[in-house]
Amino acid sequence: MSKIPQQIIPIVIILMIVVGSFIAAKNIFVPSSFGEQGHFRTEAIQENMDLEQVYAGADACYDCHDDVAEIKSDSYHKGLSCEVCHGPASQHVEAPDEFIPDAPRGRGYCPLCHGYNPSRPSGFPQINPERHNPGKACMSCHDPHNPLLPHAPEECSACHQEIASVKIVSHHATLPCTQCHTIEKGHKTSPKFSKAHKPIDNSTCAYCHEKGSTIKKAAPKINVELHSDRYLCWDCHYPHYPEAF
Amino acid sequence: MLYSIIFPLLNSMPGLSGYVFPNEYELHWSILIVIYPYLTGLVAGAFILASLERVFKVSALKPIYRLSLLTALSFMIIAPLPLLAHLGHPERSFEMFLTPHTASAMAMFGFVYAWYLMVVLLLEIWFDYRKDIVIWSNEKKGIVKYFYKLLTLGATDISEKAVAFDHKIGRVITIIGIPSAFLLHGYVGFIFGSIKANPWWSSVLIPIVFLFSAIVSGIALMLLVYMITSMVRWTTMSMKCLNKLAEFLLYAMLIDFSLETLDFIHRLYESEESISILSEMISSRLFISLIITQIIIGSLMPMLGLVFARFGKLPDELRRMIYFISAILVQVGIFSTRWNVVIGGQLFSKSLRGLTTYKLDIFGIEGLLVSIALLIAPIGILWVLTKILPPWNEMGKVQKEVAKMSATESV
Ligand code: HEC
Ligand code: HEC
Ligand code: HEC
Ligand code: HEC
Ligand code: HEC
Ligand code: HEC
Ligand code: HEC
Ligand code: HEC
Repeated sequence: MSKIPQQIIPIVIILMIVVGSFIAAKNIFVPSSFGEQGHFRTEAIQENMDLEQVYAGADACYDCHDDVAEIKSDSYHKGLSCEVCHGPASQHVEAPDEFIPDAPRGRGYCPLCHGYNPSRPSGFPQINPERHNPGKACMSCHDPHNPLLPHAPEECSACHQEIASVKIVSHHATLPCTQCHTIEKGHKTSPKFSKAHKPIDNSTCAYCHEKGSTIKKAAPKINVELHSDRYLCWDCHYPHYPEAF
Repeated sequence: MLYSIIFPLLNSMPGLSGYVFPNEYELHWSILIVIYPYLTGLVAGAFILASLERVFKVSALKPIYRLSLLTALSFMIIAPLPLLAHLGHPERSFEMFLTPHTASAMAMFGFVYAWYLMVVLLLEIWFDYRKDIVIWSNEKKGIVKYFYKLLTLGATDISEKAVAFDHKIGRVITIIGIPSAFLLHGYVGFIFGSIKANPWWSSVLIPIVFLFSAIVSGIALMLLVYMITSMVRWTTMSMKCLNKLAEFLLYAMLIDFSLETLDFIHRLYESEESISILSEMISSRLFISLIITQIIIGSLMPMLGLVFARFGKLPDELRRMIYFISAILVQVGIFSTRWNVVIGGQLFSKSLRGLTTYKLDIFGIEGLLVSIALLIAPIGILWVLTKILPPWNEMGKVQKEVAKMSATESV
C-alpha cells in the first residue's frame, strides 16, 4: 500500500493534538523547579523560608515575663512552649503594648491535650471534659502555668483510663490494681518520681490460678509449671484483659 | 441495590467489638470505592466479550458485538466518577497526569485509563462504525447531518478497500485491547492485592480473581442488556447467541469460583495470625454479604441455573427466563464480591483483635443516593449512545440470518 489510507490522517492529527496539548499542559502547569531535588517543587523551600516568622520562641518571653517563666519551669507544663497556648506572639515581642496575645480561657482548649483518647500514652493525665467539673473554667481550679492538682486523685483510673476501661469489662474486673502492682508512696501525686512496679514473675498470677489455690474460687485453675513452660504469663495473656483464646 | 441497604442495617447491629485502634472506628473507603471496581469490572468484561467475536470469530456473538462496545464505553465514562467524588479535592486529580510518581500504582492508573479509553475503546468503535457514520452523514438531514459529518472526521472514503482497511485495523486494536482490558482490571485488583499491611487484601491471587469476576460480570451484563434491548425493541433474540453467552458465563464462573475457593483454602492452610479475626469477621459482619449473597445467591444458584437451562431439555421461554434471573443474581453476587473486598478489608482492626462497622449514609456525596445515581448513569449514557450510533443497524442484516439460524437451531 503506497498511499496512506484516508482514515489514518484524522486519527494521527487527533493523536498529535492530544499529545501536543499534554506536553503543553505539562509545560504550562508543572512549576519550573519541579523535580530538581525530588518529587516536589524546589522553590517551595525558598517560599517557606521567606514566610514571615510569627513565632518568637519561648526564650523571647522570659525577658519580660520571668515571673511566669519561673513558675512554669518547675511545673508539669514545663515542656510546653508559651506560644503553644498563647499563639504566635512575635508581634507582641516587638510591640508589647499594641499587640496582646490571646490567653485560651475557654473550657474547650485544654481538652485538646487532656481530653480522653485511648491512643494517648499510659499515665498521661486525661479527663472527660463533659464530666470533669462541668460549667467551670479549668483555670478556676488549675493554674495553667503550674497545673498542680488540687488534691491527689483517689483512683488509678484517673490517669490510667485506658487500662482501667479495658479491665472493667474483662475477667479481671474485680481485681484491684494493687493486687498485681506495688505502688511507691506518692505515685498518685508525682508519678515521675515515685514509681509503680510491674509484676516480675509468674508467682503473681499463680497466686490465684495455681492448681489447689483457694484464694479465688472463680479463677480457673491450671498447672502453672506445665502450662506456662518457660514464658511469662503475660507473654500470652494480656493481664488487664486475659483471654483463654 | 436493595441489599446495600440491608447489609449496613444488619451489620450495624453489633457495632464495635474487641479492640479497634482509634483511627479505625470509621471506614475511610466508602461505598463509592465499592462501585469503582464494580464498574471497571463491567467495562473490562464487556470488552473482552466483544473481542471474542472479533478475534476468535465466535460468530454466535455477532448480534452483541457493537452493543458490547457501546456498553463498555458508557460504563467506562462513569467508572472514574466514584473515585473523583471520593476525593476531597477532585480538581487536583489532573496533577497526577502532569507529575506522575512512577512508584505509585494509584498514580499510574490515569494512564492505564486514558490508554484504554482513547486508544482502545474510542478507536475501535470509530473504525467499526466509520462506514455507517459516512452513510448516515449523507442520509440524515439538518443539524444531525452535520453532527455525523463531524464524526466522520473528514474520512469519507467508503470504498471496499477503505472498509477492508477499517476491519483490519479494528482487529489489530482488539488484539491490543485484550491485554489492555486485562491490565485495566488486573490493575484494580493489584491496588488491593499489593497492600501488604492488610491480610484480607494482600494476596497475589487478587488481581486474577478480580479479572475473572470482571469477565463474569461483563458477560452477565451483556446477557441482560441484550435481552432487555431486544424486548424493548420487540425483536426476536438469537437463542444461539444467548446460549453461547450462557455457556461462556458458566465457564468464567467456574474458573472464578475455583480461584476464589483456592484463595480461601490457601488462607486457611497458611493460617497466618490474622486467620482468627478474619474467620470471626466472615461469620459475623460478612455473613450475609459473603456466605449468603456472594457465594450462595451470587455464585452457586446462578451456576446451577445455567447448567440446568443450558444443558437441560427446556423450552426456549423457560430457558430465557432462567438466563435472565441467573444474570441478575450474578450481578448481585459480583457487587457483593466488591463489597466484601473493599468494606471487608476495613472492618477488622490491624490489631487483629476487634471489628468495626460500616454505616452507609443515605444522603451526602458518599451516600446511597449518589451511589444509585452512579450505577444508573451508565445506562442513561448507553441509551444516548444507541441513539447516536444504533448498534442494530447492522443487526437488520444479521436479523435475517438470526431468524434463519433460530429456525434450524436444534439446541
Ligand atoms: C518586651 C517585653 C515583653 C516580651 C518580650 C513579651 N511580653 Fe508579653 N506582655 C508584655 C507587657 C508589657 C504586657 C502587658 C500588656 C498589657 O496588659 O497592656 C504583656 C502581656 C502579655 C500577656 C497577657 C495577656 C492577657 O490576656 O492578660 C500574655 C499572654 C503575654 N504577654 C504573653 C507573652 C508571650 C507568650 C511572650 C513570648 C513570645 C511575651 N509575652 C513576650 C511584655 C512582653
Ligand atoms: C497550658 C497553656 C499555657 C502555657 C504553656 C502558657 N500559658 Fe500563659 N496563660 C494561659 C492561660 C489559660 C492564661 C489565662 C489565665 C487566667 O486567666 O487565669 C494565661 C495567662 C498568661 C498571662 C497573663 C497574666 C497571668 O499571669 O495570668 C501571661 C503574662 C502569660 N500567660 C504568659 C505566659 C508565658 C510567658 C508563658 C511561657 C513561659 C506562658 N504564659 C505559658 C495558658 C498558658
Ligand atoms: C499542648 C498540650 C497541653 C495543653 C494544651 C495543656 N496541657 Fe496540661 N499537661 C500537658 C503535659 C505534657 C503534661 C505533663 C504530663 C506528664 O507529666 O506526664 C500536663 C499536665 C497537666 C496537669 C497535671 C496532671 C497531674 O498528673 O498532676 C494538669 C492538671 C494539666 N496539665 C492541666 C491543664 C490545663 C488546665 C490546661 C489548659 C489551660 C492544659 N493542661 C493544657 C500538656 C498540655
Ligand atoms: C472544680 C475544680 C476543677 C475544675 C473546674 C477543673 N478541674 Fe481538673 N481536676 C480537679 C481536681 C480536684 C482534680 C484531681 C483528680 C480528681 O479527683 O479527679 C483534677 C484533675 C485534673 C487532671 C489530671 C487527671 C487526673 O484525673 O489525675 C487534668 C488533666 C485536669 N484536671 C484537667 C482539667 C481541665 C482540662 C479542666 C477544664 C475543662 C478542668 N480540669 C477543670 C478540679 C477541677
Ligand atoms: C497522677 C496520675 C497517676 C495516678 C493517679 C496513677 N498513676 Fe501510674 N503512672 C502515671 C504516670 C505519668 C506513669 C508513667 C511514669 C513514667 O513513665 O515514668 C505511670 C506509670 C505506672 C505504671 C507503669 C510503670 C512502668 O514501669 O511502666 C504502673 C504499673 C502504674 N503507673 C500503676 C498505677 C496504679 C496501680 C495506680 C493506682 C494505685 C496508679 N498508677 C496511679 C500516672 C499516674
Ligand atoms: C492481674 C494482675 C494485674 C492487675 C489486676 C493490673 N495489672 Fe497492670 N500490669 C500487670 C502486668 C503483669 C503488667 C506487665 C505487662 C507487660 O510487661 O507486658 C502490667 C502492666 C501495667 C502497666 C504498664 C504497661 C502498660 O500496659 O501500659 C500499667 C500502667 C498498669 N499495668 C496499670 C494498671 C492499672 C492502672 C491497673 C488497675 C486498673 C492494673 N494495672 C491492674 C498486671 C496487672
Ligand atoms: C486475685 C486472684 C487473681 C490473680 C492474681 C490473677 N487472676 Fe486471672 N482470674 C481470676 C479470676 C477470679 C478469674 C475468672 C473470673 C471470671 O471468669 O469471672 C480469672 C480469669 C483468668 C483467665 C481466664 C479468662 C477466660 O477467658 O476465661 C486468665 C487467662 C487469667 N485469669 C490470667 C491471669 C494472669 C496472666 C494473671 C497474672 C498476670 C492472673 N490471671 C492473675 C483471678 C486472678
Ligand atoms: C505459651 C503461651 C501461654 C503462657 C505462657 C501462659 N498461657 Fe495460659 N493459656 C494459654 C492458652 C493457649 C490457653 C487456652 C487453651 C488452654 O486452655 O490450654 C490458656 C488458658 C489459660 C487459662 C484458662 C484455663 C481454663 O481452664 O479456662 C488460665 C487461667 C491461664 N491460661 C492462666 C495462665 C497463667 C496464670 C499463666 C502464667 C503462669 C499462663 N496462663 C501462661 C497460653 C499461655
